[in-house]
Amino acid sequence: MSDVTQNQHHTLHDELHDHAAHHHDHHGHGNFWTTYVFSTDHKVIAKQFLITGIIMAIIGIGMSTLFRLQLAFPGQSIPLLETLLGKWAPDGQLDPNFYLALVTMHGTFMVFFVLTAGLSGTFSNFLIPLQVGARDMASGFINMLSYWFFFTSSVIMVISLFVESGPAAAGWTIYPPLSALPQAIPGSGTGMTLWLISMTLFIASSLMGGINYITTVMNLRTKGMSFDRLPLTVWAFFLTAIIGVLSFPVLFSAALLLMFDRLLGTSFYLSDIFIGGEMLHYQGGSPILYQHLFWFLGHPEVYIVLLPALGISSEVISVNSRKPIFGYKAMIASMIGIAFLSFIVWAHHMFVTGMNPFLGTVFMLFTLVIAVPSAIKAFNYITTLWKGNIRFTPAMMFAIGLVSFFITGGITGILLGNAAIDIPLHDTYFVTAHFHLVMGSASAFGLFAGVYHWFPKMFGRMMNPRLGYIHFWFTFLSLYLVFFPMHFMGLGGVARHYYQYTAFDFMGVYGDLSKFITYSAIFGFVGQLFFLANFFWNIFFGKEAPQNPWKANTLEWTTPLRPGHGNWPGEIPTVYRWPYDYSKPGVKDDFLPQHIPAEEVEYEEGFQPEMPEIEKAPRPQENPAAEETEDKEG
Amino acid sequence: MDAAALLNISQVLLIAILVFVAINLYLVFRLKDIDPFRKWDPDKINGTLFLLFFVVGLPVSIVATMNWSDTFTLLIHPASEHGAEIDRMHINTMIVAILVSVVTNLILFYFSWRYRYDKDNKALYYPHNNRLEIIWTAVPAVVLTLLVFDGVGVWHDIWKEIPEDQEVVNIEVNGKQFGWTARYPGEDLTFGETNIGFISEADGNALGFNKEDEKGFDDLVVQELHLPVNKLVHIDIKSRDVLHSMTLAHFRVKMDAVPGMPTYFNFTPTITTDSMRTLKQNPDFNYEMSCQQICGGGHWNMRLIVVVESEEDYNKWLKEQKTFAQFYKELNGVDLIAQANGETETTEPSSEDGEGAEGENETEATGEVAMVK
Repeated sequence: MSDVTQNQHHTLHDELHDHAAHHHDHHGHGNFWTTYVFSTDHKVIAKQFLITGIIMAIIGIGMSTLFRLQLAFPGQSIPLLETLLGKWAPDGQLDPNFYLALVTMHGTFMVFFVLTAGLSGTFSNFLIPLQVGARDMASGFINMLSYWFFFTSSVIMVISLFVESGPAAAGWTIYPPLSALPQAIPGSGTGMTLWLISMTLFIASSLMGGINYITTVMNLRTKGMSFDRLPLTVWAFFLTAIIGVLSFPVLFSAALLLMFDRLLGTSFYLSDIFIGGEMLHYQGGSPILYQHLFWFLGHPEVYIVLLPALGISSEVISVNSRKPIFGYKAMIASMIGIAFLSFIVWAHHMFVTGMNPFLGTVFMLFTLVIAVPSAIKAFNYITTLWKGNIRFTPAMMFAIGLVSFFITGGITGILLGNAAIDIPLHDTYFVTAHFHLVMGSASAFGLFAGVYHWFPKMFGRMMNPRLGYIHFWFTFLSLYLVFFPMHFMGLGGVARHYYQYTAFDFMGVYGDLSKFITYSAIFGFVGQLFFLANFFWNIFFGKEAPQNPWKANTLEWTTPLRPGHGNWPGEIPTVYRWPYDYSKPGVKDDFLPQHIPAEEVEYEEGFQPEMPEIEKAPRPQENPAAEETEDKEG
Repeated sequence: MDAAALLNISQVLLIAILVFVAINLYLVFRLKDIDPFRKWDPDKINGTLFLLFFVVGLPVSIVATMNWSDTFTLLIHPASEHGAEIDRMHINTMIVAILVSVVTNLILFYFSWRYRYDKDNKALYYPHNNRLEIIWTAVPAVVLTLLVFDGVGVWHDIWKEIPEDQEVVNIEVNGKQFGWTARYPGEDLTFGETNIGFISEADGNALGFNKEDEKGFDDLVVQELHLPVNKLVHIDIKSRDVLHSMTLAHFRVKMDAVPGMPTYFNFTPTITTDSMRTLKQNPDFNYEMSCQQICGGGHWNMRLIVVVESEEDYNKWLKEQKTFAQFYKELNGVDLIAQANGETETTEPSSEDGEGAEGENETEATGEVAMVK
């Protein structure tokens, strides 16, 4: 019964979009506003997310360079800071409160605006419809709204940098009471209010996006595209969206209650506070409650950031090794495992916050369990390279770099996830090193890999590979040089969020190392100029791209060079195989796209093909997509 | 100082300029259609660079680690009983972590170099192998299980309840923006009642003593934490404004100070300050308490000196400290003990007004505030 409705829905949907595509054909491009600004085309929206993300990244990384200057030259006058920051760096000396504001906004920009929206927003939007074989997202309009909520939220967040009392400064986790009381730090005034408003819009954007991604993957897969034929990218985006939809509302409730405490005088998070020479009226609230709510999003957020990057690297590594991804089903299973476990490990951020120690035991167990699926993924990547025929495209370089960061940064998680070892390490630079490698660097490399790989599909032109290599080596080396030495400082007990280390004898010994890290960071920052030049120049002046530049199997490469709204001018291709048939024995080319039916495969001379299960054409009159949904529900 | 920073900035600018020159040269070549790197094979170069990165990176990391290893406060000379256990586990886990990341990174970069593109080559079609998957699910699972059991054991020992009959030194540490204050219970071994509603900085009552509670009169309020060696110490941790985190790095102790919710940490210091000075060959060494939870502009400067000494020295030091009553009398001229005994006489008449104001504050703090809300 439901098969029929599903089919009808499909046909209806296709017709609608065919119509839209015709419309475009007849009238050329729509007007400027509907084509480039308020577009409902998922590809345009993806580019909007990407470019907004890049701008936010420039600001976010720029801020980190500024506070790195302070950490390298504490107590010295740095005229550059005064030039850039004005009253926040009188005589070139950074204001300690503004130092914290820079740290906070760097975290906020990078985690939410770059690595969540910039990465997931860009590639989920761009790749889901193209790779599952859909004309567009389930709802183009909600997709458009999702971007414009994100854009508004970005604008508000940037505006908050310029308010009189300074932007939010309580750390990106904005723990109350610090974030609730303007008396405690100037950033908790207007800056924090704007932060909360901006994040509320961001959450709305993220939810609209997520619901769209899930619906599209569930309902709009083309004929033959069963769940076990989905590229791992789509699996990753799908699971990411599920995590986001389940966890972002909790952040919203955390932010809302904080807003009530700040604006209405309620006491959800506050109790017994004496500050600025007076006792405040708050009674009975608990700052720990906020931490639970925040990390219920905050930890899944780590995987919201990381999973899309892992999905992208799966695809890129397989394509460029000319080998099927090793352990396709194990990869899916470990992603599902990670997605599930990500919801029950949040309190490992709170071992020493005063939470009941018994809970610490429970969360330590779950936390170390999550290392298992992560290990499986790393081993599968490495085995995919084994006996491959590796083409070092820039995308491939970044994907391999990602695996290295994922291992080096992830492995320290087994130290931090152990509640007892976490006692000394908590809130030291060891943590900073850990998450910047595994979450920051690995995800950023996923973003870069994705941009280099799908640039030809986005803009119909090629990026310059040599600039890509230069960019890669600058970035790869600088990230290791910045974050590896931070482990040393962490083991030395140096605390995070310190304006300078000079107050403590045991921290003061890292002056030289701190300078070294700053130099490395500037080195890495300079390296990004190669990317920016390469990216923006080639959007307009790049070499025309071939139809399928990387000889990849997935459906997006079957669309025209510059696909219009609706993606395929004619019928949507049918899918006959999984996406990883690279270097299949007997097949003439070293790749076999998903849309080639068994009878059209070109074999090497003298090869007798046997018909393995996976190559069978879909049974006629059936819609595997609908079947799959049924199975899920049953 | 100024000049040094300027020099550093100019070095950075210089690098940036060189980079731009390089970009320019590149573009010039490009415009003239000359390709000076025509013969370079990117697959060979990048594959080799990957391996080189590992081959150079590993020894550099080892040398750097050796070079900095004597600064690793969190791995050497644990100064508490549980700290030694944490360090043992920390080092074991660290060895596992280093081994795993070195070996997997080696394989990753070796494969990258070994299987770089060759146009005559075809990759091996090798989509799965369940035995391999089971091996690398099971091995990490077993290793992690061992680590978890060890971790749970140590964690439970740290948090186990103190037996009734065990002697314990009770201390209270109070965090505020931006500093720490320690409180000792005095001769009666009992803390007096405090409440933030009683706080009056002007009177020197920063912790909010209830001035009618006699138990508080002999409490010691100090700006230095003294601990007797080899005695179990129970520290109650409080904050009066925002979150702080009481961190004693050398003792592997860390616990947030939460406004409205007192927390605690139990530990036994095992090395006196003097012994540690000998161990570290640093006569100026001091144990330090820091704050490691972001708490505002002065977060980086919340330092409290910690002294571990023999029990005799510790008791001697305790005797030298002023009790709260003594301190209060010196500052305000009001004898709290006499007042509690029913004598209303005060040395300075003006302070009577102060008393009245305080009294109002008290009622407000004790009950009615909650009602008003």
